Amino acid sequence: MNLLHRARRNKQLVSGSVLATIIVVLGVFGPFLLGDYSHQDLLLGHLPPKTSGYLLGSDALGRDIAARAVVGIRISLFVAISVTAIAVIIGTAIGLTAGYVRGAIDNLITLIVDFIWGFPLILVAVLAAASIGSGLLPVILAVGLVNTVAIARVVRGEVLGLTEKEFIVAAKAGGYSTVRILLKHLLPNVMPVVLVLSSYYVAVAIIAEASLSFVGLGAQPPLPSLGQMVSDGRSFLIMNHWESTVPGVVIFIMVLSVSLIGDGLRDLLDPRLRTAVERASSK
Amino acid sequence: MKSIISRVVSTLLLLLASSLAVFAAIRFSGGDVTAARMPASASAEDRELFRRQIGLDKPILEQYVTYMGNFVTGDLGNSLTSNAKISTLAGEKIRNSLILGGSSILIVFIVGVPLGMIAALKRNTWIDTGVTSFSVAGMAIPNFWLALLTIYLFASTLHWLPSGGQGGFKSLILPALVLSAEGIALTVRMTRSAMLENIGQDFVRTLRAAGLSERRIYFKHVLRNSLLPIISLAGLRVGQVVGYALVVETIFGWPGVGQILVNGVLRRDYPIIQFFSLLLVIAVTLGNLFASIGYTLANPRLRK
Amino acid sequence: MKQTPLLEIQDLSIGLKGDNIEYDIVRNVNFTINENEILAIVGESGCGKSLTALSILGLHASPPLQITSGSIKFGNRDLTKVSQEDLRRVRGAEIAMIFQDPMSALDPMFTVGTLLRSAIRAHKKVDDATAEKISLECLADAGIEDPRRRLAEYPFQLSGGVSQRVMIALALVNNPKIIIADEPTTALDVTVQAQILERLKDLKKERGMSIMLITHNLGVVASIADRMAVMYTGEIVEIGSVENVFGKPQHPYTNGLLGAVPRLGSGSAELIPIVGRVPQPDNLPSGCTFVDRCGRAVEKCSTQRPELVSQGSVDVRCFNPFK
Repeated sequence: MNLLHRARRNKQLVSGSVLATIIVVLGVFGPFLLGDYSHQDLLLGHLPPKTSGYLLGSDALGRDIAARAVVGIRISLFVAISVTAIAVIIGTAIGLTAGYVRGAIDNLITLIVDFIWGFPLILVAVLAAASIGSGLLPVILAVGLVNTVAIARVVRGEVLGLTEKEFIVAAKAGGYSTVRILLKHLLPNVMPVVLVLSSYYVAVAIIAEASLSFVGLGAQPPLPSLGQMVSDGRSFLIMNHWESTVPGVVIFIMVLSVSLIGDGLRDLLDPRLRTAVERASSK
Repeated sequence: MKSIISRVVSTLLLLLASSLAVFAAIRFSGGDVTAARMPASASAEDRELFRRQIGLDKPILEQYVTYMGNFVTGDLGNSLTSNAKISTLAGEKIRNSLILGGSSILIVFIVGVPLGMIAALKRNTWIDTGVTSFSVAGMAIPNFWLALLTIYLFASTLHWLPSGGQGGFKSLILPALVLSAEGIALTVRMTRSAMLENIGQDFVRTLRAAGLSERRIYFKHVLRNSLLPIISLAGLRVGQVVGYALVVETIFGWPGVGQILVNGVLRRDYPIIQFFSLLLVIAVTLGNLFASIGYTLANPRLRK
Repeated sequence: MKQTPLLEIQDLSIGLKGDNIEYDIVRNVNFTINENEILAIVGESGCGKSLTALSILGLHASPPLQITSGSIKFGNRDLTKVSQEDLRRVRGAEIAMIFQDPMSALDPMFTVGTLLRSAIRAHKKVDDATAEKISLECLADAGIEDPRRRLAEYPFQLSGGVSQRVMIALALVNNPKIIIADEPTTALDVTVQAQILERLKDLKKERGMSIMLITHNLGVVASIADRMAVMYTGEIVEIGSVENVFGKPQHPYTNGLLGAVPRLGSGSAELIPIVGRVPQPDNLPSGCTFVDRCGRAVEKCSTQRPELVSQGSVDVRCFNPFK
């Protein structure tokens, strides 16, 4: 099949998927293999990597960095993926409805969407934390809200473009019910864009969760969020930099893999990016 | 012209709505103010009395109006932690954040746009691959980590630059760069793709057929057409900067609005939270307004 | 008395070169354009007529497409061999080109006046006043009423017919000797088409220009062209004066084309299409490329390629043309 073949040739998609697989495997199986992440031993603090029993060293309280890192991966993945999944479902639904039905409903939705859309994610999260207290909940709420709105906006735009196209007009003339048009005709056409967009927002969610934990507003101790680990290691940068470096690198790889997948998907799904040769020879 | 006026009006309404929302969200947990101000041994009745005294029992809208009234007249209350007058603090914090945010936005466009143009011009050469990979990586690095990295490199190891605080130009460099990193990456990619898309358009062929030089076509016509998405990017930038500044200011100890807000949230200092979050909301809203006005003016189709 | 032609295309071949792909689309094309004439190049989509036209000014998409052989003689220069800068100087000033879809062919961010001025300044230094004067003149010559108003307008404010006239004006500002017009009226309303064609014909007279007209519409050819060349699968199969070719088409393909066009008063009510389909350039039959669709094919046609041969007043590429 042409699509699969092109997918395999796409360097970004391949490298991104490889990285992502490694991360997911670490996150899912890591905690079982690496043992207790909250076990403290003050006498064994600040151990360098490759010390026996402490693969990536230990932090100030003697906790195993590797064990904490993989749990941190789990948390980040959990937040990012669950939030994005919900945002995709709700956002697409809202966008489809607003874009297709138009009228007063659309105006109202657009008003609310644009209102929230204007605010930076971190600000919303900080406000949520101010309002209901720190922890994972405000992060999830804030990221979920902003991502939902962003997706709704884009989907609506796409639908507006599509409703003019003939196959939709034909479906309407054929008397298909609104729901059927939405699900069978519009949704498949909107999916590619949503797919690319959601990969971007997974990355955004990961960074947001990490940033918030870093400043202390996200996941609370003893939960080992990667951002928090970076923050904990701050004071020891000079002598024991791995305490911050390790979680930092992990975050970087997570975001990088997701971005690469997103870029690859976009190149794959955007017909305009076909090479000049393909275009010239199809004339 | 008409659309601009209507946009200003709707922005003012938006400001009202968002300030109310922010106000309500924070007052929502107002009970904690009581906990912060009253000794732990206070009885429930005392707490209730206190609440009534402060006015926390009145309907939200009324509280909002009172607050806004004070806001406008400059009575902003005092910080719960330091007891300093917020109105005194505000000026300095705002100024510092403006310096940092403004420099960042400048850097993003002065560096990002030309790099994107070069990448588009030298498409598929190593220059292009280099610039593009750089920008993919730039967007993946969480800025707080980049901040730590730069502090480690430039401050602790090389001792070229200070690691924090606001101490003149030298201390501005690192936070401004870190704040701009992701923006530069995004701008490079957007500029590159906009330029590439426009180079392939029909009107370029017409200009070429008319005998215009490649240089003129690229730098005057293709660029001008690519500016539109770049300008809308600039608009979104203000919001982004405000968001990221919260973290960057905290790490570098840059005494701006972001830092004081984050600390306020951590310490539950409600007057601080209330005022500075409102401030940021206003900044973002106004930024978006200017951006959309700028876009309208730049697009001849919307000007007529 | 034979005049020296303005433009001489000799054995021109243009091919596609990509990963794993290499074949010619335009194959050994020969024709000339003389002073003060309108030459029409006709053929179906994909026959290579647009590509030929684009290649004259080097405007074809150059990474995959390239000129594989032949020459384009203009004056005493071969345009396939001149430097980029020399080619730029020819573009717009000596040979100009107008394109099919005027709505998308004008830079949407600049006014008509600015575009015209840029085209003038690309070739000579003039002050604003002179540039404006030339612009207004050319807009008027292109048939625009109230040219001054148009100077300040943006392309999106113009209708199809007006934008095409602006493109024509753009082509006129430096007084070129030849205008290449690639399907100039295809994207326009029928009523406007006739006006634009008339204007082009008048311009030939008023300015002593020649026009190379690319089209798939035989009606257009009949209304303004002096000579015509019929192209099929990248080669010219018949070339001669419009009178001769229309009056007595010799190549079976030309005959088929003209038979497929509904004509008033011709008596027969049936439209006679040409059977079969156009072969793809990467899969051409050996021998004559029209052989599978030709009603007059003889044995030779399947094995040998016919050359373009003079048959009296017309050149034909056929072993068994109509007489």
